[in-house]
Amino acid sequence: MIEKGKISGLQMAILLYPTVVATALLILPATTGQFAKQDMWLSPIWASLFGYLAVMIAYRLHHYFPQETFVQYSEKIVGKFPGKLLGFGFLFFILHTNGMVLRDYGEFVTGNFLKQTPLIVMIMSMAFVCALAVRGGLEVIARSSQIFLPVFIVLFFLIILLLIPALNPKNMFPVMDEGITRSIRGAFVPSLWFSELFLISFLLPYLHEKEKGLKWAVVTTAFIMITLVTTNLFTLLLFGDIASSFTYPVMDAARYISIADFMQHVEAIVMAIWVTGMFIKICIFYYVVVIGTAQWLRLSDYRPIVFPIGFVLVSVSMWSASNLQELTHFTRTSWTFYAGLFLIVIPIVLLLIAKVRHKFPKKQSH
Amino acid sequence: MKRLFKPEKRLLTIVLCCIPIFLSGCWDRTEVNDLAIIAGVGLDRTDNGKIELSVQITNPKAIGGPGMSSGSGQSGQQPVIVKTGTGKTIYDARSKLQEKTSRQLFEGHNRVIIIGKSLAETGIRKHIDFFARFPIPRLRANVFFTDGKATDILKVIPSFENGESAEAARELAELKIGMNVTTKDLLQQLASSSGDTALPKITASKSKLGEGLKVNGTAIFKNNKLTGQIDDKVTRGLLWLTDAIETASVTIQPKDAEGYISFKILRSSTELIPTIKNGKWKMIVRITTEDDVTENETKLDMMDPKIVEKLEKQMEKSIDKRIQLVLDEVQTGMEADVFGFGEAFERTYPQKWKQQEDQWDKKFPEIEVVIKSDVKIRRPGRSGGPQGVPQEKEKKK
Repeated sequence: MIEKGKISGLQMAILLYPTVVATALLILPATTGQFAKQDMWLSPIWASLFGYLAVMIAYRLHHYFPQETFVQYSEKIVGKFPGKLLGFGFLFFILHTNGMVLRDYGEFVTGNFLKQTPLIVMIMSMAFVCALAVRGGLEVIARSSQIFLPVFIVLFFLIILLLIPALNPKNMFPVMDEGITRSIRGAFVPSLWFSELFLISFLLPYLHEKEKGLKWAVVTTAFIMITLVTTNLFTLLLFGDIASSFTYPVMDAARYISIADFMQHVEAIVMAIWVTGMFIKICIFYYVVVIGTAQWLRLSDYRPIVFPIGFVLVSVSMWSASNLQELTHFTRTSWTFYAGLFLIVIPIVLLLIAKVRHKFPKKQSH
Repeated sequence: MKRLFKPEKRLLTIVLCCIPIFLSGCWDRTEVNDLAIIAGVGLDRTDNGKIELSVQITNPKAIGGPGMSSGSGQSGQQPVIVKTGTGKTIYDARSKLQEKTSRQLFEGHNRVIIIGKSLAETGIRKHIDFFARFPIPRLRANVFFTDGKATDILKVIPSFENGESAEAARELAELKIGMNVTTKDLLQQLASSSGDTALPKITASKSKLGEGLKVNGTAIFKNNKLTGQIDDKVTRGLLWLTDAIETASVTIQPKDAEGYISFKILRSSTELIPTIKNGKWKMIVRITTEDDVTENETKLDMMDPKIVEKLEKQMEKSIDKRIQLVLDEVQTGMEADVFGFGEAFERTYPQKWKQQEDQWDKKFPEIEVVIKSDVKIRRPGRSGGPQGVPQEKEKKK
């Protein structure tokens, strides 16, 4: 194995939580509110079902190939050439998604805080930091997120707590006046964010307490769901119908905080949450691309390709869209099918084939 | 550390030393002394249809620095500077204004937005967008209406708050004597199906003793355009109706005694209960308040439960009357739904609301409103019976 580090179940959970939450946190109310209106707080609950599904698929596949990642076992399941093709497609998808995530980060920081700073500077500095972490290996990423995640969670709850006086519970009603269809439509995009949990396929082989892998993955999914429901609920109770008209509703919610005339202007907290969360998210995606590529090319070490892939990542993120509107549009339309294909459909097909192969083993395997 | 000084690592060492240079700052570094901190914004419309933007800039020389402790007035500096720019849009006006200002305009600490009458009459929806789109302003800023020009309000130098009228206006809104509307609230109300909203009216009061600001009355906007104004007294009714009353006093004259009795409202809650029966739309307003007696001019004994019960009844009527006043003026007079009746119906009867949404404008003035107030007088205050009256002459009734 290329990766020599081992992580614990809890560390895996700590890595997965920001992987979904980081992007979702800021733009989720805008994305879901568009379709779900005042039922938007229900959407993450439906969406989380996809999270469980992705975790289950990854876990079942892991069960058949305990030492291998998606890139490796896809070759064994569907044969060498199709497997390589699938692996390439998957890696390209993850690289592209990571580029978009990186771009999202850059757009947020330049759009809200550092308006004069060129986007490329934001993106490159983040990519550089992530590259250093990825070069250090999985253990380094896990430990750094172990330091960042408590900060992330504490700051998040601080924002939630400070918002309480400004909330208006009436904004929630009527609940489900058009049945659950609206909230399900709102769950469409977030369900694919949840599907990103399929990336545990790349973490499970390096777990040193294998039996706890599934338990922690399920616990994380539940926590992600709770966090997202809270985010949507608070934004809804604060803004009501206009929640989805903001680009970053949570940001505007945090800026609304004013306690006793001195506890105000706390948007730096949102920035801190976003940067720490995004760092972990980008690291995980980056790591998956790097380790996946190394396995795809059967390299003996993944370290030499970290920086080259970093350069590709930066270019992808610069080229992925010409502006924020295009990026958002792409995430809400084409990306959903793109992600659904690689994170749900292909893994399910692979799992089915693997199951069939397992039941009827070929004679030549001896 | 030793590793870094090895010859083959020298390049790395140099690179590492260069990195901190980039870490120390970035393109967006702005020093506080390059900023013109805006405390208040005023919006007016010129005769030829342009936007006149006035900003109140905190004068850095008057506040802060060594003069701070000895009071702001001593240095002889004006505490604020008011500047005006004209343009097609707010941002256009802002850039014209920037030309005239030696420091970079900064709205991050903007506390109030004052809308002048001329602009209010032509519609406010399109102008409020700037405050929700431009990254710097906050949605927390309080929005006011003024009958004259917004610039004049910004120019007022009140005796309190270091002479900043913007801060004074915000404090007035926080006291909740009139309506308290933030940019967020305004956006929400404009986005509602009716687009009707109400803004507190702010006026400058000048006297020999000094200048000041006061919130008296409310401006009513129908479909984001100014349609009318209501005075202080009617505004109180509006506050009762919208559950926004917080610091209030009620004074009544008991029927069977001379003089007045004043009450302080401790807490009050208003519930709007919409009902639709046989196609008839009705709104039940249920008000529950708790009061304490604060002044008693009469000879009535405030400890007597029977008297208190009678007073409660009378207060209920007085509250009903106030609310009826606002209903007459705003519901039937201006036909503007600033009470949130529409949302209340939407929340309780979402299906029926959808069928009627288009006709809400016509339907709203015809809605029957039933006011059910329930007053509870909790405590007599520090004294029981009337003060300064011999015990035997107290009225026991």
